[in-house]
Amino acid sequence: MDARLRRVNKEIADCKNDKTSQIKIELIDESPFHLKGSFPGPEGTPYEGGNFEVDIVIPESYPFQPVKMKFITKVYHPNVSSASGAICLDILKDAWSPVLTLKSTLISLQSLLCSPEPNDPQDAEVAKHYMTSKSSFDDTATYWTQIYAGGPGPKDKRNKGSGVDRDEVAIAGLDKAHVDRFEQLGFQRSKVIDALRRLNYRGPNIAQISDDRVVEELLK
Amino acid sequence: MNQCSILLQLQQLLNDSVPTRPLIDVLAPMSTLRAEYENGSASFLKQIDWLIARGFDRVRRTRGDGDCFYRSLGFAYVESLINSQDRDFAVASSLSKLESTKDTLDKAGIEKLVYEDFYEEFVSLIEGITKPDAQGLVLNSDRLLHAFQSPETSNAIVIYLRFLTSAQIRLNREDFEAFVVHPDTKEPMDVDSFCANVVQAMGKEAGEIASSTSIAMQVLIYDSVEDNVEMEALCRALQLNVDVAYLSGVRGDGVDFITFRHDTDSKAPPLTLLYRPGHYDILFKQAA
Repeated sequence: MDARLRRVNKEIADCKNDKTSQIKIELIDESPFHLKGSFPGPEGTPYEGGNFEVDIVIPESYPFQPVKMKFITKVYHPNVSSASGAICLDILKDAWSPVLTLKSTLISLQSLLCSPEPNDPQDAEVAKHYMTSKSSFDDTATYWTQIYAGGPGPKDKRNKGSGVDRDEVAIAGLDKAHVDRFEQLGFQRSKVIDALRRLNYRGPNIAQISDDRVVEELLK
Repeated sequence: MNQCSILLQLQQLLNDSVPTRPLIDVLAPMSTLRAEYENGSASFLKQIDWLIARGFDRVRRTRGDGDCFYRSLGFAYVESLINSQDRDFAVASSLSKLESTKDTLDKAGIEKLVYEDFYEEFVSLIEGITKPDAQGLVLNSDRLLHAFQSPETSNAIVIYLRFLTSAQIRLNREDFEAFVVHPDTKEPMDVDSFCANVVQAMGKEAGEIASSTSIAMQVLIYDSVEDNVEMEALCRALQLNVDVAYLSGVRGDGVDFITFRHDTDSKAPPLTLLYRPGHYDILFKQAA
């Protein structure tokens, strides 16, 4: 049996037998080299209560080359692309070592959710949001966890109302009042959301952005 | 472009720049190495001539892929077993030494799951020196070369040696921590990040040997711990005697040797490596 297959089989079995780590690895199709990993969002973070799925591709020269991982579940996090799920983490690139396993790498992703590195972002807009207003960032990340990862939603609003409608303003991490105000100037709502998100129209940053600047962005 | 994609591109450039030299090459006369310096540094030429004059007349080149120290040492080690006077004894004691290295890895917290395949690859190679394979052949230098040119076997041994080095450093950190520096910045670095990011990763070269000012001695013995943490650790873990000839291009009147003596028999002939800044090859001395 080839070395890569032997190693991957052992890793899958090891993960199955480990009842304490909360890390799951499953086959997606017939191939043992294309897998799906998942783990619960860490407690005490906006990701708490969510279940996060990761697409895993094992390259030909694994474990000498790093495993390829990206989030399947949408995650609002400075080091994860909000569009593609691509992850910026050193061990997935030049700091990879064959001493790492699928399980330990998934655990590293879980801890990445605990400790974002906004200075080395994968998603620059999300990182700006994080650095401008941590509390607003947390609200957005919590909301994403609720609608994409099956999380319970904001603590103060739990069990009120039934179900969640997707709220594009909350997804973009913006304030409804701001979006309404520019929409009333006659711009399409979705355009307003895009523009305010690009401008990082949040928290103390708002005072730095004139209405003219917003309109200019909207007319682009 | 974010830092990750820059790093990725740099890595790609590095990968592309690795020449197509085999992982380990056939034995070649020193004159082939000499020819590469004929239009260059006169002091390199003098140092090569100095080595040739002292019987170091052949060299086995390795690919400059960042693993050349481990690959050179691994190859030289197995070949020394093949060439040993009492092959059965050499193989048996090597296997029992290797068996005990598993304990070192376990103690250092390296999972069995991640090292056992590499361990088995290493052990079965060494067993093959005395135990004929399905074709009735035992391992000789040619077949060893072939094995070390195949990435699967070669890299398995490189990574096993890297794990062992990492474990040895971490289990004896008080011996090493004062000497651990970042390979690029030369700033002091903590033992755990050094082991995780430099020692245990493929393609990260073992530290450079610090250059010394020219001293009017032909053979200089360095305090080896200061010179190279990874070499010292690996020689201790495998109980090896190793000499590294340091082609600095600085001295014209000789070549410095850095010596490691960790074989239980301190008189056992050392494995000899050739170091040029940033690269290791294997050096051979003609039989006396």
